Amino acid sequence: MKKFIACLLTMALALTAVAAVAEGSLTFSWWGGDSRHEATQAAVDAFEAATGIEVTSTYSAWTGWEDKMSQYFASDSAFDVNQVNWNWLYSFVDAQGNSKFYDLNQVADIIDLTQFNANSLAQCTVDGQLLAIPVSMTGRIFYWNKTTFEKAGLDTPKSLADLMAAGPIFAEKLGDDYYPIALGAYDKMILMVYYLECVYGKDWVVDNTLNYTAEEIAEGLAFIQSLEDNHVCPTSPTLAGDGADSLDKNPKWMEGKYAGIFEWDSSASKFESALNEGQEFIVGDYFTDMGEYQGGYTKVSLALAISNTAADKESAAKLIEFLLNSEEGAKLMKSERGIPLSAKANEICLADGLLNEKVAEANAKVLAWCQNALDPKFEAAALKNSDGVYYDAMDGLSYQDYSIEEAAEILVDGITEVLNAD
Amino acid sequence: MTKTGGSSTTRGDLRKRRGLSKLEQGYMGFFLILPWLIGFCIFKLYPFVSSLYYSFTDYDLFKGVQNIVGFQNYIDAFTKTKNVKALQVTFIYAFMTVPLKLIFALFIAYILNFKIKGVGLFRTAYYVPSILGGSVAIAVLWKALFKSDGVVNTILAMLGFSSINFLAEKNWALFIICLLRVWQFGSTMVLFLAALKGVSEDLYEAASIDGASKARQFISITIPLISPIIFYNLVTLLVQAFQEFNGPYIITNGGPRNATTLISLIVYNTAFKDYKVGMSSAMAWVMFVIVMFFTIIAFTSQKKWVYYSDDDGRG
Repeated sequence: MKKFIACLLTMALALTAVAAVAEGSLTFSWWGGDSRHEATQAAVDAFEAATGIEVTSTYSAWTGWEDKMSQYFASDSAFDVNQVNWNWLYSFVDAQGNSKFYDLNQVADIIDLTQFNANSLAQCTVDGQLLAIPVSMTGRIFYWNKTTFEKAGLDTPKSLADLMAAGPIFAEKLGDDYYPIALGAYDKMILMVYYLECVYGKDWVVDNTLNYTAEEIAEGLAFIQSLEDNHVCPTSPTLAGDGADSLDKNPKWMEGKYAGIFEWDSSASKFESALNEGQEFIVGDYFTDMGEYQGGYTKVSLALAISNTAADKESAAKLIEFLLNSEEGAKLMKSERGIPLSAKANEICLADGLLNEKVAEANAKVLAWCQNALDPKFEAAALKNSDGVYYDAMDGLSYQDYSIEEAAEILVDGITEVLNAD
Repeated sequence: MTKTGGSSTTRGDLRKRRGLSKLEQGYMGFFLILPWLIGFCIFKLYPFVSSLYYSFTDYDLFKGVQNIVGFQNYIDAFTKTKNVKALQVTFIYAFMTVPLKLIFALFIAYILNFKIKGVGLFRTAYYVPSILGGSVAIAVLWKALFKSDGVVNTILAMLGFSSINFLAEKNWALFIICLLRVWQFGSTMVLFLAALKGVSEDLYEAASIDGASKARQFISITIPLISPIIFYNLVTLLVQAFQEFNGPYIITNGGPRNATTLISLIVYNTAFKDYKVGMSSAMAWVMFVIVMFFTIIAFTSQKKWVYYSDDDGRG
């Protein structure tokens, strides 16, 4: 009897293991906020019902996600289908130059690639391999809390001059803890690049080389410094003292004390929903008085990829096709990952009025304005992480640990080191 | 003798019944602990030894080991500004928290050793932070307490003091991280309390008759007799202090300006954010050697100051 029970238990375990890797069973991972989780899970449920393929979902907020995923990919134990950040396509590569992602050209008969424009697919193509399908394009744009500006007796800024003038008025009329805009260290870095691109009209990095001199970068840093000096944005110590992990979780943003942000177009709904009741959130315009050129860049917001270790790549491709190109998938996913790049999904969402108005407005402005290209290494971990070069330079400047020239030198040295790393 | 013989007979009977030879039974114990041994070798011994090897390589999380770099990682550990700063901060953290926690725990234990009303309740209440202290939730709560418009600043404002930017000012940020560690004094306190209860009342009585003050009794009787527990707490607290991760990771994420970046954070960030596992392993080994060094010092010095009652006296 005992032997029989032992055999039964062993068989049950073996069956469970087989079932986990059996054909028609997938694992899928993504990060995001609650609304994205709900929409994606609903789409996954619909996919399961439509195809009979079982999908196990794993999702969480962004904090700590990249660390966890890098370990999964490095140990070849990644999920079958993954929402990925654009720069992962370039950094998750082994010593022989082999990507951790599957070449999706191999499943082009399942995923309808014609729904995506060539430029966006090119951004996810490395060494001739299509490593991911871009979900949406994104760029940084200004958003304003119109209610706070009205309280200060001002219109929302239409130019850099308006913004600079708003700082002292906020302090005088609303109090020292009110600022026209709040910028974290990475936001400052992106705004500085946008400013310099407006002034000089050239890409930040060209042919794996930093395209700006230390003197030019110092000019950009002086611009950032002037924002703090004129009470336009809070200093790094002030932001750190707020004790919030991100701006959308900062009570001062929720209350309207910070009346502006420079954020991804796809983040509009997140920041709008974080505001307390009775505050009007609007999409701003790019400033035409920053320089002669239309600076700023667009990039693939995020993408869906199949890991090389996925056992059933066809089913994985079917899931991506369902989520991005099918009518049912598009209607459930809406603009939770930005304005869909898939022509078909975009058309369906537009026809049914499913796109978040603010996200759509911001995305249209971003795509119409931004002219510069982004090098994938701009988002390298050694640069953009909280202990990275961008934070060191921007926070060092704000804490007055560095002069403008020293901060510029740190940026030049740090970025050059990353560009020359491989 | 009879008992031993009986036991031997029983074992012999068991062997016969189970058909085990003497040799087989000798290995039985080994087989029984084999699962643990396998787990130890895979999850402890192998990572321990391999990390030593990796510390001499340029091991990248994705690219693996490409080159042996000799002592370069160790040189970087002691020369790169970020690492040197982390070493300094870790030493400050350890040398602030360990003595403070020892003193505070002993002080509270001393008070709770008096026969006062509701002492059981007080003991429980003071022990609770130790249960909660290491958790992520408490670290989040700590952050909320000390943010610019948090409870602590609200109280300061009510008392007429100007507010302090605890999370943004370098010294204050390190202070609140240390405070969290010191606040978790419960386990240390319980050990002290047990030790204090073991000190004979007769000794205090005799000392009182001889005219010794309370302070003299504490220094000359209490401290020597509980010195083994002081020693035990010192060693464990030192090890814990050098390994601290949760507090600085959650409350300040190593900031402001790396003021609370301990070595453990550098180890984590270097391996999992920068993907430099070789460098990270070297930092982990530096941390190991530091902890080992202080532990050896503690063990060596105990002959001079730790009193064991089964000895003929000190040392």
